[in-house]
Amino acid sequence: METRRHFLRKTLGGAALLAAAGAVPLALRKTRLREPRQQLRFFTPAEYSVFAAVAERVLAPGAADLPQELAGVLRARPAAPAPAALDVAGKADAFLAPLDQASTKELKQLLALFDNALFSFVTGGPPRPFTRMSPAEQDAHLERWATSRMAVRRTGFQALKRLSAAVYYGSPETHASVGYPGPPDELVRTVNASRGRP
Amino acid sequence: MSGIVRGDQVATDLLLTPDVCIVGSGPGGAMIASRLSAAGARVVVLEEGGHHSKEEFDMQEATAYPRLYQDRGNRATADLSIAVLQGRAVGGGTVVNWTTSFRTPDDVLALWREKEGAAITPEALRPHFDEIEERLGIRKVDVEDVNANNRALYDGCKKLGWAVDTIRRNVRGCLRTGYCGMGCPVDAKQSAALTYLPDAVSRGATIYANCRVRRIEWSGKQARAVVGEVLHPGTQEQTGRTVRVEPRIVVVSAGALNSPALLLRSGLAQGPVGRNTWLHPTVAMVALYREPIEGFYGAPQSVASHHFAHRGKDAGFFLEAAPVHPMLAGLALPGFGAQVTGQMGLLPHVSVSIALMIDGFGEGEEGGTVTLRPDGGPKLTYPQGDRHFECFRASMKALARAHLANGALRLSSLHVPAVTVSSEKDLAALEAAQLGPNRCGVFTAHQMGGCRMGGDPARSVVNPELRHHVVENLFVADGSVFPTGLGVNPMESIYAVSSWAAQHVRSALAKA
Repeated sequence: METRRHFLRKTLGGAALLAAAGAVPLALRKTRLREPRQQLRFFTPAEYSVFAAVAERVLAPGAADLPQELAGVLRARPAAPAPAALDVAGKADAFLAPLDQASTKELKQLLALFDNALFSFVTGGPPRPFTRMSPAEQDAHLERWATSRMAVRRTGFQALKRLSAAVYYGSPETHASVGYPGPPDELVRTVNASRGRP
Repeated sequence: MSGIVRGDQVATDLLLTPDVCIVGSGPGGAMIASRLSAAGARVVVLEEGGHHSKEEFDMQEATAYPRLYQDRGNRATADLSIAVLQGRAVGGGTVVNWTTSFRTPDDVLALWREKEGAAITPEALRPHFDEIEERLGIRKVDVEDVNANNRALYDGCKKLGWAVDTIRRNVRGCLRTGYCGMGCPVDAKQSAALTYLPDAVSRGATIYANCRVRRIEWSGKQARAVVGEVLHPGTQEQTGRTVRVEPRIVVVSAGALNSPALLLRSGLAQGPVGRNTWLHPTVAMVALYREPIEGFYGAPQSVASHHFAHRGKDAGFFLEAAPVHPMLAGLALPGFGAQVTGQMGLLPHVSVSIALMIDGFGEGEEGGTVTLRPDGGPKLTYPQGDRHFECFRASMKALARAHLANGALRLSSLHVPAVTVSSEKDLAALEAAQLGPNRCGVFTAHQMGGCRMGGDPARSVVNPELRHHVVENLFVADGSVFPTGLGVNPMESIYAVSSWAAQHVRSALAKA
């Protein structure tokens, strides 16, 4: 396993790696497809499905190692909505639609590489696309990218993670689950109304 | 025509012939517009971002970042290792910054004079600072107005005997809602959009919002025209209308990153354009407290510690707080799954403090470099080296110590995976954790350099009067001219240096 990873590090630069993955049509990689909720403007159906699968694991709930003193706080919170319930991938699609050409190409290559079964295998993972892995395998796959010695994989992880988290926690539907009461709209309205008076 | 013109109000291609064309309406451009219009010059300002009023500031991160920040909130170094928070609107970064106002430290100005032949002295800047502080309502924060998030850092520093103080803010009638970074919803923040830009408009200046400048046309020693395209205010897509400005003087105030990119797009590559870009690279620690902190409310920044600003040969750093809203927190927390979602559930109990590395003062330190992306935008690279790693480690340990002294239950770093600190003995793990691109979260909200001022054309882009070394009717007035980082938040320095430079622009105009 180590040898395979070593070989990759030695032989492939980050950009070449992305380009190589991008050269193979995603459809050939047997991505497990999900049905988009609306007309896609940025992703192909396969890319939408890869991103939705990533967001599901990036935002998966679970038992975090947190101080005992605050356990009660967490128990009192309403459950966090599932990423699919908020259509995180659909919202990401809308956000990405105006992206410039060069960034678009890079992101699409990244999604292709992330779901590439062969690449998973040669970097120490199961010989399956990400979208066909079990949740535990998917988490291990994400972990390998997040902590990889190859800088381009760490960059790739950050791109997917940040976009997932930004879309999810930017949605007001998640705010109760993190204990955020939201902005003081009423106060602002009242003050603006009073300051607006002659 | 004078006033503020939106992209959707431009019905035909424009050809304008003012005295002065300013590219960018942040603190640099707004100040030049104000000073030059006061001197009777006919001024046109071209701004890529939109013109927004308080009614549009809905205090939602999902609205604010795409609307008010560069690259719709996604700006970063090319490898994503440093996230770049940089404003983009009529008023530039002053619309979204956290209001922290500092004068330029005297020792920084001294270094610029000694090393680069810069001309600015503390005495020369003083009247400019005095006027700016009056115009922007800059006043020191009372300690009772400090929110719990800032108070945690303040009290921690006090308990350790470290220098710490409340800071000064540019606000009038502040409600301390906590949403400075999303545009002030009650117009308390005295941004350029509420001060120097309306001043300029009242004297006849015209500001074209939603206007992206592609290039400066020049030949010999003269800039001939500024050429741009009009964007739709909603979609940000091109409307098909173009703007061509043929002024007597051009002032580039597009900010660090965008100003050097504009010069590069224009073929003005003389000197170290784009090089020596400084970011105050910023690391953070996340502290958990038994009692709620509610770092999403209250003035986002109200205290600072410069206790570690001078550390001999090592890079100095300073400590401040950062607001704790869900989207920014979710982005910043390292890892995935429960590592993120578990901690997010405790958001009201989180206090976030940041440490900003004072870059640009090391022997041979080169900073970041701006080149061009295929779409013409700025491509930023900023290598992290041993000087950064030493500073980041010292910074994170200092932040951890301050919060431990203040009674935090525990802290976590933004390493991937996070390092947890519950007591002094855990600091060794913080010291040992690996650093490097995307191994630990690093941010910047202070972009400087890239069009360095100085006496030597081989080492600088503009001369000590901020005039371009080659093109005589071209000035640069913004944070990009700073030869180093500042060691303090840069907004007030950008205003003051631009106000000081306005006299040289006026002289050039008189001779043009």
